[in-house]
Amino acid sequence: MNKTLGALCMTAALSITSTTASADVKIGAIFDLTGGLNIYGIQQDNALDLAVASINAAGGVNGENVVVVGYDAQSELSKYTQFAQTAVLRDGIAAMFAGLTSSSREAIRPIFREANIPYFYSSLYEGGACDKQTFVTGSSASQQLSVLMDWAVENYGPRIYIMAPDYNFGTISGHWIHEYAEQLGAEVVGEDYLALSVTDYAPTIQKIQASNPDVVVALPVGAAQTGFLEQFAAAGLKDSIGVVSTNYGSGNQQVVVSPLAGEGLVSAMGYFPSVESDANAEFLAAWEEAYGTDTPVVAGAVDVWNAVHLWAAAANKAGTTDADDVIAALESGLTFEAPNGTVTLEPGSHHLRQDIYIARGDANNGFEIIATFEDSEPTYENEVCNLIDNPDVAEHFTPEG
Amino acid sequence: MELDFLATVLLSSLSSASILLIATLGLAVVYGLMGVINLAHGEFLMVGAYSALTATQIGLPYPLAIPIAVAMTMLIGAIVELLIIRKLYGRLFDTMLATWGLGMVFNQLAVLIFGTVSPGIGMPQWNFQIGDYSLAVYPIAMIFVAAVMLAFVYFLMTHTVYGMKARASIQEPQMAQAIGIDSSRVNTMTFAIGSGLAGFAGAILLPIIPATPSMGLFFAVKGFLTVVVAGPVALTGSAITALGLGGGASVTASFMTSVIGDVFFFLMTAFLLWLYPLGISAKWRRKL
Repeated sequence: MNKTLGALCMTAALSITSTTASADVKIGAIFDLTGGLNIYGIQQDNALDLAVASINAAGGVNGENVVVVGYDAQSELSKYTQFAQTAVLRDGIAAMFAGLTSSSREAIRPIFREANIPYFYSSLYEGGACDKQTFVTGSSASQQLSVLMDWAVENYGPRIYIMAPDYNFGTISGHWIHEYAEQLGAEVVGEDYLALSVTDYAPTIQKIQASNPDVVVALPVGAAQTGFLEQFAAAGLKDSIGVVSTNYGSGNQQVVVSPLAGEGLVSAMGYFPSVESDANAEFLAAWEEAYGTDTPVVAGAVDVWNAVHLWAAAANKAGTTDADDVIAALESGLTFEAPNGTVTLEPGSHHLRQDIYIARGDANNGFEIIATFEDSEPTYENEVCNLIDNPDVAEHFTPEG
Repeated sequence: MELDFLATVLLSSLSSASILLIATLGLAVVYGLMGVINLAHGEFLMVGAYSALTATQIGLPYPLAIPIAVAMTMLIGAIVELLIIRKLYGRLFDTMLATWGLGMVFNQLAVLIFGTVSPGIGMPQWNFQIGDYSLAVYPIAMIFVAAVMLAFVYFLMTHTVYGMKARASIQEPQMAQAIGIDSSRVNTMTFAIGSGLAGFAGAILLPIIPATPSMGLFFAVKGFLTVVVAGPVALTGSAITALGLGGGASVTASFMTSVIGDVFFFLMTAFLLWLYPLGISAKWRRKL
């Protein structure tokens, strides 16, 4: 026992000396490792560690080793602000990677603006965040829906029903669905916005049948809403009414839904594990070596991977990790060969120009990619947000109406 | 309003009420017979769901997985009663706090054991037609399951020796002890049965609500409110409350939106508690 303790002390001492010996760059991470949101948070954090390891293996940032100061937000909003403050005031971080929900991003965004530290938000979301220090590597609702609605109306028909969660991700997505439907000459025949705790979807399924749509745009968030897809299929509606989504699969819902119910569901996102490219094959090989093959990699994990690499590329380009220089480098039209194709950071909107994939659920709880829309623009964000011309803007834009 | 739509709404609202009743009955039994509010009830339901899921994953057919889930949750329930609940008899708020904490522990244990994403077992893809509307068979079958469950608990309480002892212990505790009923053993059994009912609910609802570590939360609030509104007459009170609140919310959701359905649920709860502060069954003469 004493020997083991001694050995532990030795290794601890060694690791302390080895970390202080070379100069380090600290980056912060706050993700939900426990609680209801850890379905996303654990993978985001894993992706961050993997990206940092690959950057360090390639020589680090400006020759310096990158170390992570990580926090578990426990799926609680108050923890985000608390740890963000700690990271800024105590840890001396050069960049922050954090957040899943839009509420978590909005809670901590002002802290990094105030401290002038580049902050990376890596999740698909409703769109519209605009802030000099904030960089978004997930896809926005308008980015996904613009290609998906086009595809859905062409393949299923013009009568659309919306099933979405009752908070800003759902309602803003609903706005875009209305807008794109109008542009395409289609019609929204009904909509239902649901609380995240609803488990019984019989009323929604009746209303869907009463309005007789060609396609349902379903945006289920969380475990309970995933049950909607199962109940919809069990009612025998899946064969006559198409189902499309911008977030089905983002939390590996295709694993939870039974193959019978999941086969044929269509989702449009910025990443699916079945993307065919060398960069993705390399990424997946590294991931599987580190974390195994138990759960498929979600889009949010790739968004974090991309964020860390974009930051490292910017810091290397700037030759420093000073915030102003790194932000200037990030705004220089940086591109990165990502697992989900080439991504470009838009200088004005701080959002990513990236491929959007439309994929169909197969019979083995996986996805088959059926269409790729290369280099899709974050249209709405580019339109409303130009941080080159207006560097002082700090807003969360929402479409009118 | 077409007749077929009306019929579908009625049938599926009855099914919603039944699902609520199935999820709540264990809580109601423990509250009615022990005066303990088990805030880990939702987590027992989750344990039942994962037990059934694991049983099907090792190759057992689903109908056999259900008794395994019941046995598992009854065992855990008995252990929890012996280690925790027993020490806190008569301290309602302390038991609530203790069971709430227990729920958190269960929740996190499930994350550690099963991870955050587990494959669902799927719902039988049977459906039937009423006019222009198609309905899944399985959720409708829950009406029957709820009725059988109620009948079972009623039989257990009225026609078995355990049932008589349990009722004696809650209605006349001192007299029951005086004639030699070991009320603490009866209580262990009652808590185990309540947990077993939760486990049964988790297993039987597994095709409708996939197993996730935090699934208990979905039932915790509405189940708790149903039991509080029902009051001291556990069985009949809960059945009527589940029918009124759950069914009413579902009808409202069908004609308006799901959010208004939830609003109906909570407004009715507030209204009923204002009208009957001790629950709707406080002045009833029947005891079950």
